Amino acid sequence: MTDVVVTTDLTKRYGSVSALDSLNLTIPEGSIFGVIGPNGAGKTTLMRLLVDVLRPTSGSATVLGQHPRAGGKELRGRIGYLPGELHVEPGLSGTGHLNFWTSISPGDRRTVRRRAHAIAERLEIPLDRKAGKLSKGNKQKLGIVQAFMHDPELLILDEPTSGLDPLVQRTFLQLVGEARDEGATIFLSSHVLSEVEQVADLAVVLRSGRIVREASIEDLRATAVRHLRARLTATDLSVVTQRLTALAPGLDVSADGDDVLVSGLVEGRTDELVKALAQSTVADLVLAEPDLEESVLAMYEDKDVA
Amino acid sequence: MPVLVQSLRVGWKGLLVWALALVAVMAMYLSFYPSLGGAASGMADMIDQLPEGVVKAIGYDQIATGAGYTQSTFFGLLGFVLGTAAAVVWGTRAVAGDEESGMLELTLAHPVSRAQLVAERALAIFTRLSVLGVVLGLALAAMSGPFELELNGTHIVAVTTAWVLLTFSIAMASLMGGAVSGSRTVALGVGAGLGVLAFLLNALGAQSEQNEWMLGLSPFAWAYRNRPLAEGWNFADLGLLVALATALLAVALLVFTRRDVRS
Repeated sequence: MTDVVVTTDLTKRYGSVSALDSLNLTIPEGSIFGVIGPNGAGKTTLMRLLVDVLRPTSGSATVLGQHPRAGGKELRGRIGYLPGELHVEPGLSGTGHLNFWTSISPGDRRTVRRRAHAIAERLEIPLDRKAGKLSKGNKQKLGIVQAFMHDPELLILDEPTSGLDPLVQRTFLQLVGEARDEGATIFLSSHVLSEVEQVADLAVVLRSGRIVREASIEDLRATAVRHLRARLTATDLSVVTQRLTALAPGLDVSADGDDVLVSGLVEGRTDELVKALAQSTVADLVLAEPDLEESVLAMYEDKDVA
Repeated sequence: MPVLVQSLRVGWKGLLVWALALVAVMAMYLSFYPSLGGAASGMADMIDQLPEGVVKAIGYDQIATGAGYTQSTFFGLLGFVLGTAAAVVWGTRAVAGDEESGMLELTLAHPVSRAQLVAERALAIFTRLSVLGVVLGLALAAMSGPFELELNGTHIVAVTTAWVLLTFSIAMASLMGGAVSGSRTVALGVGAGLGVLAFLLNALGAQSEQNEWMLGLSPFAWAYRNRPLAEGWNFADLGLLVALATALLAVALLVFTRRDVRS
């Protein structure tokens, strides 16, 4: 299997600030590859370098075997790109946008237009409305259409599901699945772990322009950090404390009247912990995914670096 | 040329408004000419009373002829100002405006090369200004009779060509400012700056023989110093305007294909 994207010491600096710092990344053909990281981690910079909107300060990248700049517009014709912040022509209708994108797409115009309208229909975009009057979600859908419409070999999607309601997110995930089944490679970013988790095979965690972790989704999930909050009734503080500190020493256990409250960060698989809690009567349990900033920080501080 | 077509399609309403405004202003000024009595009136005497420098600076030395009057009141003043405004607006939007609003990134991530984008948008501006030029020429030809201007058809084509090339150079200055910096403010400043500079150099250069060298530096003077509406074509002057516009476009292409596109 060949690699669709390869970056070698890819670096992008703005003055003294490094947006990307010697990034080495390989995206195998046919994979769904996620990049996760807090805002400002360099996800968008990386993607914009790959479509030649930005030029690297040093290092290099190849996309579908070519350097983005040397590959030029022919190379970009093989890529579908959804920018992180989508801007559309406010006075132009959805159909007008599709017509323009069709006119600058490679391949047979009629086929591309038909595909575009088919995808737009699945996403239920009101195409006759002026783009300036569309909701954020509907604009984002237009962006998705233009990324997929010419059936590209590589999809580069920057925060693709932002602004989409859950139903549309499902349609989007179907589109991604179909594209992969047809042989496309998909590279997508998110600042929410669960979003990437749903669809990707492989992922990297980016922070301050560096890869802090590269792993399969399975491994990421296993080491993810979660917020735990539980209220236990009909139990004894000392018993609970003893039971839990062995499993997760960082947890805060306290008495609240007759109840016992447990709260704190949990890392890794939660199975044993939940079983331990269940030995008491669980009145309330929240096990929430923290924002990625926190989990990435946790990974970073634990020196859990690939 | 999809980018050109797209630019024209999005901007046709604006073009219509500019055309209407230009024709309305032209009609308003030119309609006064018959009532001023033309060459036979006391107007020529009145102009003689004014200091020579002032008269030359605002180009009123030929005001008693139809061609001179049209040149001074329309092409030398509001026709230039409105044309410059349209040119600066379009030149600014072509790269910097689209870049600041974030739309350029998406277009350039498609199979559109940067040089192609700049070239097609420059061509779109040239097309729009040419449409305005044709509208102005036709309006001028139509008004010549009723307003007793006695204009020559070929000379009308010559003066509108000069107007198109002058405004196009100013548009290219804005486009270049934007292509180099990505900033709307810079684009606006460079275009408007060239317009103001061209006008001032012409006004000062016309005032005295000492200042005459300034005319050689003013695109405004290149367009109008040889009185195209009275004398007809001057291809050397038009050539200077074409050279300026081409040079500005070349700088735009050179820098824009090499730099980062801002988000």
